[in-house]
Amino acid sequence: MDFSFFLSAFLRLLPGVPLTLQLAFISVGLGMVLALILALLRLSGIRPFEWIARAYIFLFRSTPLLVQIFLIYYGLGQFPTVRYSVLWPMLRQPYWCAIIALALNTAAYGSEIIRGGLRSVPEGQTEAARACGMSRITVFRRIVLPLAIRQALPAYGNEIILMVKATALASVITMMEITGLAAKLISETYRAVEVFIVAGSIYLIINYAITRVIHLLEYWLTPHLRPVPTPGVVEREDAV
Amino acid sequence: MSLQPQQHEPADPMMPAVRIRDLRKAYGAFEVLKGVSLDANDGDVVSILGSSGSGKSTMLRCINMLETPTGGEISIGGEVIRMTQTKAGPKPADRTQVDRLRAHVGMVFQSFNLWSHKTVLENVIEAPIHVQGRSRAECVEEAKELLAKVGIADKQNHYPIHLSGGQQQRAAIARALGQRPRVMLFDEPTSALDPELVGEVLKVMRALAQEGRTMLVVTHEMGFAREVSSKVVFLHKGIVEEEGRPEEVFSASRSERLRQFLTR
Repeated sequence: MDFSFFLSAFLRLLPGVPLTLQLAFISVGLGMVLALILALLRLSGIRPFEWIARAYIFLFRSTPLLVQIFLIYYGLGQFPTVRYSVLWPMLRQPYWCAIIALALNTAAYGSEIIRGGLRSVPEGQTEAARACGMSRITVFRRIVLPLAIRQALPAYGNEIILMVKATALASVITMMEITGLAAKLISETYRAVEVFIVAGSIYLIINYAITRVIHLLEYWLTPHLRPVPTPGVVEREDAV
Repeated sequence: MSLQPQQHEPADPMMPAVRIRDLRKAYGAFEVLKGVSLDANDGDVVSILGSSGSGKSTMLRCINMLETPTGGEISIGGEVIRMTQTKAGPKPADRTQVDRLRAHVGMVFQSFNLWSHKTVLENVIEAPIHVQGRSRAECVEEAKELLAKVGIADKQNHYPIHLSGGQQQRAAIARALGQRPRVMLFDEPTSALDPELVGEVLKVMRALAQEGRTMLVVTHEMGFAREVSSKVVFLHKGIVEEEGRPEEVFSASRSERLRQFLTR
């Protein structure tokens, strides 16, 4: 084993980390907003809105992300209206094409996760909120959404990790993130196995960190699901 | 204690706290309520009795529009809830009116329905802060007094799941009191409790009745209905079969059905 090569490969790939993280976090952030909107459309009870959301989710879940990236990167420029639009300075850059494709894709999956979370909120919780005079928006903001987030968080964590890995696909449209740099290094050294082991390890480390953060967030958000708070333990001993 | 029921509008003192006129509710072809009328004046404790399916919970839930009546009229403190006809049936004409009136009506549910992601204290201050727009410091102070009053001051930072059923229901009563309601609705408040926990909830409710709270109570607790109520209403198949002062209703019921119900 050539450890010095692993080390130098690691140092060569490391500059790709910020771009990988940017692609992942910006697209997850934008995707989450879109996902919430889609979930609300889907649950709105208004037929046309429901169908728009359903069609969107069907489209983006049923086609490969790679194809979506290609279509946005190569396809949009075919239309003069796009080329002459105010968005063109953004849409001509592979960076934004990658983010848009990733965000649109994750929104489809995310909206189903959020929809599940929203539907899991027990009727009694919203009834109590309505009964004390909360407006619909207040009920949603104070009761439904906080409970839905807690319910959806584990599944959404999964989606975030999937998105970090999906950023590797951005390398096919010239993005020099971790996988892009790895491909470049391989073409220089012809040592594919070692380079991909290093690239894979970097994703592993990133996702380990993300898993821990989500776990922490979950722990912090759900004190009401933990067995018994510390003062309660003391009281129990007194009672016995 | 300084926690007298504070009157906000609607507070026309000449009008009953709750007035129900010819209330009807149907699910499809099945009529649960077939024209119920009832007045509750300030300070009244009205016990609503009836076997299951008699429509008593539905009636209570119509008062704050958790169920939408299909006919009749409800007023809170003299203000009539305006209804409108749609293709799907009647619905409140003005949702903001319903929200505003609901703030004056405290509701206690059979299954407590405390917000599970909030501590007991947070449950009590939620509506005062986010519906009535009162200051947090004031609400917290009042909430602590209310929790002391229902005997769970030491549980204020606990989450509902860590409390017993009786404690949860007392927290729910404190939450309803936090709204400073003109009238309180109790929907079978002790039916989901283990028998040994019923007493602690009834004790709190008795105390509320004694301080002059206006209460409408759907209950199976005959002792409570007999000793605490100022009025007893017996519902049978969606109509008021008998109503009156508890001593009349319990000792000299005119209705054969009520006598059967009471001897069971």
